Amino acid sequence: MANDALWYKDAVIYELHVRAFYDANGDGVGEFRGLTLKLEYLQDLGVSVVWLLPFYPSPLRDDGYDISDYTGIHPAYGDLDDFRMFLEEAHRRNIRVITELVLNHTSDQHPWFQEARSSRDNPRRDWYVWSDTVERYKKARIIFTDTELSNWAWDPVSKSYYWHRFFSHQPDLNYDNPVVREAMWGVMKFWFDMGVDGLRLDAVPYLVEREDTACENLPETHGVLKFLRARVDATFPGKMLLAEANQWPRDVRQYFGDGDECHMAFHFPLMPRMFMALKLEDRKPIVDILQTTPDIPDNCQWGIFLRNHDELTLEMVTDEERDYMYDEFARELRAKINVGIRRRLAPLMEGDRRRIELMNGLLMSMPGSPIIYYGDEIGMGDNIYLGDRNGVRTPMQWNGGWNAGFSGADPEQLYSPIISNPVYGYQAVNVESQRRYDHSLLSWMKRLIRLRKTTRALGRGTMELLAPENHHVIGYMRALANERILITGNLSSQAQAAELDLRQWRGWIPIEMSGGNLFPPIGDLPYLLTLGPYQFYWFRLRRI
Amino acid sequence: MPESSTISEEFLRQLTAVGEVDILVGVPTFNNRDSIERVVSALQVGLTKYFQRERCVLINPDGGSTDGTPEIFKNASVRDFSMLLTSNPLRTFHRLSAPYHGIPGKETALRTLFTAADLLRAKACAIVSPDSLSITPEWVDSLVRPIYRENFDFAAPVYQRRKFDGLLVKGLVSPAVAALYGRKIHEPVGTDLGLSGRLACHFLGKDVWEQDITTFGMEIWMTTTAIVDDFRICESFLGPKIQAAKQYGQDVAGTVRQVVGSLFRCLDEHEPFWKGRDTCEDLPLFGFQYDVALEPIQLSKRRIMDTFRSQVDQLVPILESILAPQTLVEIRNVVQLADREFHYPDELWVKTIYEFAAAHHHSAINRDHLLQALPPLYRGWVSSFVSQNQKADAAKIDQKLEALSHDFERLKPYLIDRWNAEAGGER
Repeated sequence: MANDALWYKDAVIYELHVRAFYDANGDGVGEFRGLTLKLEYLQDLGVSVVWLLPFYPSPLRDDGYDISDYTGIHPAYGDLDDFRMFLEEAHRRNIRVITELVLNHTSDQHPWFQEARSSRDNPRRDWYVWSDTVERYKKARIIFTDTELSNWAWDPVSKSYYWHRFFSHQPDLNYDNPVVREAMWGVMKFWFDMGVDGLRLDAVPYLVEREDTACENLPETHGVLKFLRARVDATFPGKMLLAEANQWPRDVRQYFGDGDECHMAFHFPLMPRMFMALKLEDRKPIVDILQTTPDIPDNCQWGIFLRNHDELTLEMVTDEERDYMYDEFARELRAKINVGIRRRLAPLMEGDRRRIELMNGLLMSMPGSPIIYYGDEIGMGDNIYLGDRNGVRTPMQWNGGWNAGFSGADPEQLYSPIISNPVYGYQAVNVESQRRYDHSLLSWMKRLIRLRKTTRALGRGTMELLAPENHHVIGYMRALANERILITGNLSSQAQAAELDLRQWRGWIPIEMSGGNLFPPIGDLPYLLTLGPYQFYWFRLRRI
Repeated sequence: MPESSTISEEFLRQLTAVGEVDILVGVPTFNNRDSIERVVSALQVGLTKYFQRERCVLINPDGGSTDGTPEIFKNASVRDFSMLLTSNPLRTFHRLSAPYHGIPGKETALRTLFTAADLLRAKACAIVSPDSLSITPEWVDSLVRPIYRENFDFAAPVYQRRKFDGLLVKGLVSPAVAALYGRKIHEPVGTDLGLSGRLACHFLGKDVWEQDITTFGMEIWMTTTAIVDDFRICESFLGPKIQAAKQYGQDVAGTVRQVVGSLFRCLDEHEPFWKGRDTCEDLPLFGFQYDVALEPIQLSKRRIMDTFRSQVDQLVPILESILAPQTLVEIRNVVQLADREFHYPDELWVKTIYEFAAAHHHSAINRDHLLQALPPLYRGWVSSFVSQNQKADAAKIDQKLEALSHDFERLKPYLIDRWNAEAGGER
């Protein structure tokens, strides 16, 4: 693989769960051997990074985010040798690998916690946050409001309360304890030594607690991250840390520090606003959030996405915006969960290929590294009748045959039912059938990814928003050195005409990137473009 | 259908960029710099608060202001919606200002707005006066909601007016419209109103835009046309109406001539309709009604009375061509009354108006001359009404006006008789 320390800035990331991708041993659950067999598919798709959801030993009460052993592999997915083989094969195909590191908490089944709760005198007692009263840290909000009543849980073994920001079976680690930091560094070192390219740091805003604060985004938390980053830079240059901080951009900005905390961070508020803009047929929500997004250090990058393994989170929107999103995208009550909507991209777009393409066209051209959630590249559907967020975590649909080609097990044995309705079911939506046609969504996605990879301007360039009077049309210029990429998209269901003020590029010629066709040169007059419903263009500008 | 000549190419270009809208709010202006910012801010907050999800556009047809009104219109903005107890707008808020073509005047401005409503396929429209100092964001809800949510086509305003304010409307236009058109509309010439896109297009398609009727009497024409053409009409309570001082005010005589002249022309146009109506219906009234203490209008009763007396004497030769002999005798008797006994009876007032209407219909004399003869008589009635109700409270005044309205209804056959009489025949 190319030795570029900023590789993550050009990355196209593919997020998947080992369990859901491919079951090679026929036990109904995907595993690393199966995933390794499907690396060819990912290479063909064109993605450059695979982000793996948690695969560690776990009671699986929170889909693996309740880790009971940080340096092992859940037996259902294989063992460390299987992982090493997968990693090696991925690297051979120029695909980097990001894994999860749940810094904030462990499972209550983790030996660390078992020891800590065993007695108040145990040496690991201070690895977690304990209290004899629930009156501490009262200003901290409860995150999982559907299930938790307090951030404190009673431990009947040691007869005291322990702190948890997420589920009560996920006790928070105590980062005021330097030994905990060292232990977690040991975990990071373990995976980086093995060859993992990056770590997604789960729930980073909550590492440290302080009285009379919201216990989020505290300076002490940033201190922990700087400590870990310094170790990474010193020991593993070129490795990447990706922060999961579902916060407003100004707060997330702090997780980049001065380029000395996390290399990447998710841009959470952008995602719901892209959906909102499409439904409103108005660029305003996107423009508003981009305009309030601060600049980040040169060596940092946003992670941007349309859908992921969680609900379409609506925490970072106003009450009115949330109501609107629920009304428009979650008319079925079952689609709502926590503060969000548990649906995949294609159902959210009502199966409209044009809208799916537009959303991907915007995603791939906005500032940041795009993340594709497995199955969305073929337009997979979901199952809102499954509990929690399992409806968007169903088996990958490889073909129209037995168990969608995912597994040779009895259908009843699968870890999850396969999507089988006539619209999104595996007979209608699967890799095999879409591979056969140039005009399938899968083929189109491949072309789009390849197109993105033809220029670094989309990953590393600046962005200048254009302001055509027609609010249905979004336009922006991405620029890097001498490269200029003009992006325009019609968010409306109807054809639109828009005049773009491109006078500063007078004399340049727009070349439509997918077909290579020349458009009329830019002159002194506003540049008139007509766009069909949900149509978008990427133009490379070339100076005459 | 819109005619290309009614809007400029630049305005058309702006409309193209806006696309389809749900709600169009129009604010026709001419030198309104003192009040326009407040009006625009109130409308913006109102649209955001009550129609957050709808596609809205605010349009300002300007008649050639020289005081910077269009610039203020375009630049007025709400900085912090949260302080106004609403959230930020979900959508792009479009504001267009366009000088309109043609003769500056309300009808050209409205034609521009109706054309825009047609092109943008607006579902609901509101037209708001640029000089309303008492406007609140709630006006938007009151004017638009009945149209947009309740499927009405026309929402006439109901204002809380200062004592003795709007007597021309209360004592003439409103009761006349009620009696003749069969709809009790408090403000048939209200300058703040709501209408459906359907009705806007209907108005636009009428063959009146080059005629006098639209020049000075758009409001009464819109109201009566909506009634005659059987559109769904309602009223909306807006609260107090306080206007900015006019840049160059119209005198009372001019207002009377314009408003009453327009009403008379509407009667000509709608003759078959109003002659066939013999009932009067109340309209659905939207909005929470409340009273606030308002300073009464200060009227110079003595000056009004003196003007009445002196002008009636001068106008007798003209009034003889308009009024029935008995009516003129009674008016001249009123002129002779001492201040203390001064009284212009309601029945006499109604007959005066109806005889003017019939004479106008028959063109008994030049219509402009005819209308010029009415303001002095209006002053007589106003003077009488004010004298008699100096100490009356609002409820008492309402009772008096209700009684007057009944007289307009009761005497409708009298109007029809005079209307049907041969021009120049026995009066």
